[in-house]
Amino acid sequence: MLETTLSELEASARAGIEAARTPEELEAVRVEALGRKGALAQVSKQLGALAAEERARVGRLLNAVKQGLEEALAARKARFDEEALRARLDAEWLDLTLPAPGARPGSLHPITQLQAEIEDLFTALGFAVLDGPEVETEYHNFDALNTPPEHPARDMQDTFWLVDGHVLRTHTSPVQVRGMETLKPPLRMIAPGRVFRNEEVDASHEHTFYQLEGMMIDREVSVAHMLYFMKTLLRHIFGREVTVRLRPGYFPFVEPGFELDIHCLICGGAGCPVCKQGGWVELLPCGLVHPNVLRLSGIDPAEWNGFAFGLGLTRLAMMRYGIDDIRLLQGGDLRFLRQF
Amino acid sequence: MNFSYNWLRELVEGLATPPNELGRLITMKIAECEGVHAHAAPVPGGFPDSIIEIDNKSITHRPDLWGHVGLAREVAAVLRARFRDPVRLDLIPPAEPAIGVSILDLDLCPRYSALVFDHVTVGPSPLWLQCRLEAIGLNPINNIVDVTNFVMAELAEPLHAFDHDLLHGETIFIRRARAGEMLMALNEQSYRLEPANLVIADERGAIALAGVIGGLDSAINARTRRIVLESACFLGSNIRQTSTRLKLRTDASMRFEKSQDPVNTVRGLARALELFRQVAPGIRLVGGLADQKKDLPPPAPILLPMNWLIGKLGREVKAAEVRDILERLYFGVSESAPGVFSVTAPSWRATRDVSIKDDLVEEVGRMIGYDTIAPRPPLMAVVEPLASPERLFHRQVRLVLSQQGFTEVSNYSFLSEEQARALGFDPAAHLAVANPISIEQGLMRMSLLPGVYRNILENSKHFEAFRLFEIGREIHQRETGLPHEIPHLMAAIYARDGAADLAELKRAAECLLPGAEVRPAEVRSYEHPARAGEIVWRDHVVGRIFELHPSLVTGRAGLLDLDLELILRLGEPEKRYRSIRRYPASAFDLSVVAPERELVGDLRRQIVGFAGEQLEELEFLRQYAGPPIPAGHKSVSFRLTVAAPDRTLSLEEVGAIRNRIIEGLRGLRYELRL
Repeated sequence: MLETTLSELEASARAGIEAARTPEELEAVRVEALGRKGALAQVSKQLGALAAEERARVGRLLNAVKQGLEEALAARKARFDEEALRARLDAEWLDLTLPAPGARPGSLHPITQLQAEIEDLFTALGFAVLDGPEVETEYHNFDALNTPPEHPARDMQDTFWLVDGHVLRTHTSPVQVRGMETLKPPLRMIAPGRVFRNEEVDASHEHTFYQLEGMMIDREVSVAHMLYFMKTLLRHIFGREVTVRLRPGYFPFVEPGFELDIHCLICGGAGCPVCKQGGWVELLPCGLVHPNVLRLSGIDPAEWNGFAFGLGLTRLAMMRYGIDDIRLLQGGDLRFLRQF
Repeated sequence: MNFSYNWLRELVEGLATPPNELGRLITMKIAECEGVHAHAAPVPGGFPDSIIEIDNKSITHRPDLWGHVGLAREVAAVLRARFRDPVRLDLIPPAEPAIGVSILDLDLCPRYSALVFDHVTVGPSPLWLQCRLEAIGLNPINNIVDVTNFVMAELAEPLHAFDHDLLHGETIFIRRARAGEMLMALNEQSYRLEPANLVIADERGAIALAGVIGGLDSAINARTRRIVLESACFLGSNIRQTSTRLKLRTDASMRFEKSQDPVNTVRGLARALELFRQVAPGIRLVGGLADQKKDLPPPAPILLPMNWLIGKLGREVKAAEVRDILERLYFGVSESAPGVFSVTAPSWRATRDVSIKDDLVEEVGRMIGYDTIAPRPPLMAVVEPLASPERLFHRQVRLVLSQQGFTEVSNYSFLSEEQARALGFDPAAHLAVANPISIEQGLMRMSLLPGVYRNILENSKHFEAFRLFEIGREIHQRETGLPHEIPHLMAAIYARDGAADLAELKRAAECLLPGAEVRPAEVRSYEHPARAGEIVWRDHVVGRIFELHPSLVTGRAGLLDLDLELILRLGEPEKRYRSIRRYPASAFDLSVVAPERELVGDLRRQIVGFAGEQLEELEFLRQYAGPPIPAGHKSVSFRLTVAAPDRTLSLEEVGAIRNRIIEGLRGLRYELRL
């Protein structure tokens, strides 16, 4: 008798579970079948009236039905949860192809980038990075570099003079002098910076450009050592060996003096305005430090030797990036600057 | 300086190297060849030539290379060819001079030589001479002047011919000018001289400015019958000083300022004598050589130790090769001790160019070829490199700015008076360039604004909106010494329409300067009067933030100007660990009703003051204007977090803090929305 009731109960509850359309309806089914006052509870109360043997049998049956219904309820609930999650996730659809708001990185000036690379290289090679004023004393720009007032080499660099008698430095070499004045040998230093020449501006000439001075003072310093640093610098910047030539060059502060030219990378050496049609670009005036320069800065040339170079940073940037008009670098045109 | 290939061929025996190849060789071994040009015959019957153009700057130190003979000697040495000297000193007969020479200052004029000629016929030069001069860019004038120019171009020895009949007295004086002495020069300009200038004079007065230019009154002319031919040597620095002061640079002054060889004076006269006989038929030398000179000690021999030379070059080189190279270049070489050469420079290299052993490194190096020296890394002592905090700081600033979307520009250090005035700067406050390229670039910048302002105007033609920045130095003049160069950052945000977002600039400033605040400041003429303030960081005004005055720009431009020197000096605060709070904090919100233009920054400061030391954080939430807030007012909401390090604050304690703030604000007549 109770068995029949149980199986009817089970069938009706299972139908209810299947039919439930919402978690709330499912809960109603659970309460009706499995709640404290639910149908199975009612059956359970009637067990006491049965004979012991019968009670045990029907009791087991009851437990089986209860367990079966609980499992069915849990499964159904899981389905509801899953549907709910799926619906929520679907509602959270996002168009990831939409552009993200906010500013994109700007670019750093090509000279800045190149300068940082060279600074890092030379720092790793044990060189200090020094700085000096853009407005210089005549002494530091010329006299201390073995170029006294009546020296004809004063004409080699067209100089801007200020009304207060100072000069706009025509090269970064005065920083050498300042370096030797403050640091004791052995010393290794570079000094990047802005320099000025009183020249008309065109595609290959600027009155404002950047140089990077380098100097090493030690007990034994040779042309071969200087060449090592020059070649290392160029290989580092261009990522490969660059064709160079070293020829005599005159600068009063070095002896011997050189010009290191590289094959023009704008035209590949065929001739263009940047290389003045010559196929070679003067990039690195350099030489062994003149004993007078050492002496003027209080260093004994009998004991110490050195090399110095004045890399044309602006020209190097032009070679590196294929820039055929020097005016672009100081021009402030974002159509140009954003390419770097 | 232009060199004629034909001319060089006369001086270098068997020269067969084609002109272009010769140019390359000269560049690699001697001086910078700027180009080789074919030169067509100027007139029918003239000679085609090739012109080798040498960069004057590359022969600044070489007085001898200002003439063909100098270059020919070098070319011959490089090619191991024989140099053919065109000078025949034996042409000058031993005889009494026909004119007196009196040098009154032997330091300024170490040698003065002269010859006198009569039976002179002035007329055009023969074609060959005209062609030679014309090819190297000199204008033929007449046979006498052309010969002086020819000798100058050949021997680097400038000559000058005076019309003897226009001179007074029988002696040439070489003396300092008298103060205010005047000279009418060949260029028909009159010069007022001073004792620093050296003149050639007769007994009446100056007849030439020594080493620079001749006088008009004694110039060679069509009626000239007798001449005095001058060949002298002057102190280079004095000639340079005179020509610089008078702004008069001539072919002669350019050579003399390089310190010419005193031996060359007589060589020049001998060569001219020979040429006069060819181009001025009938000319006759009168008497012999007039010559006065300072007794100069012979140049001291230079000791050149081989091991020192090898150490400098960084390459092995044999003693025999060194000796051969130096001798080919006319140096006297003897071995004074084992492995040490005693070297004497030839007279034309000894005036300035070669005086120490370092100068000989170059001679050997260029002849063996620098391309034969293999690069070699040095063995170096470890030296702790000097720190460069400024450089690293500027790098960091650049990185932060570029990450915030700003692109770096680089502007000139110059500006025009007009640019200065357009922004309300006083042109007179700027340091001025004495010799500017143009009036547009006559002042040194005292602010990065003029440059960045120009960037904004230019780029607004191409872009609707952009961000850019510059790091550069302001130049401020000082009473004495070098000007103060102050590195600044100037960042700009531009938008043609809508707002140039000053908040974005402020955010950039805070990224650089955590905790920076903006405070109201006196407005400058180029600033939007209601949108400007100064940036305060660590109790110092370190810069400004403002919108550009709308009259200056179409659209809107916001600017941030920071003094990087000051910021670096203030430095980063020291970093110290404080133990992490163990007890929970409490938070509550407050909304303050304040007049519309009340600064949120001021409200914050008030609240911080009332809250006391248990305030941990004060966060701005929002501000709101509109109903139910009364017109002309706004409601500003903050969230306050309070805590104590040693306990959890009780509800009562938190309430007390809150009440203290509310009471405080009410005392200042602020309403609170509770």
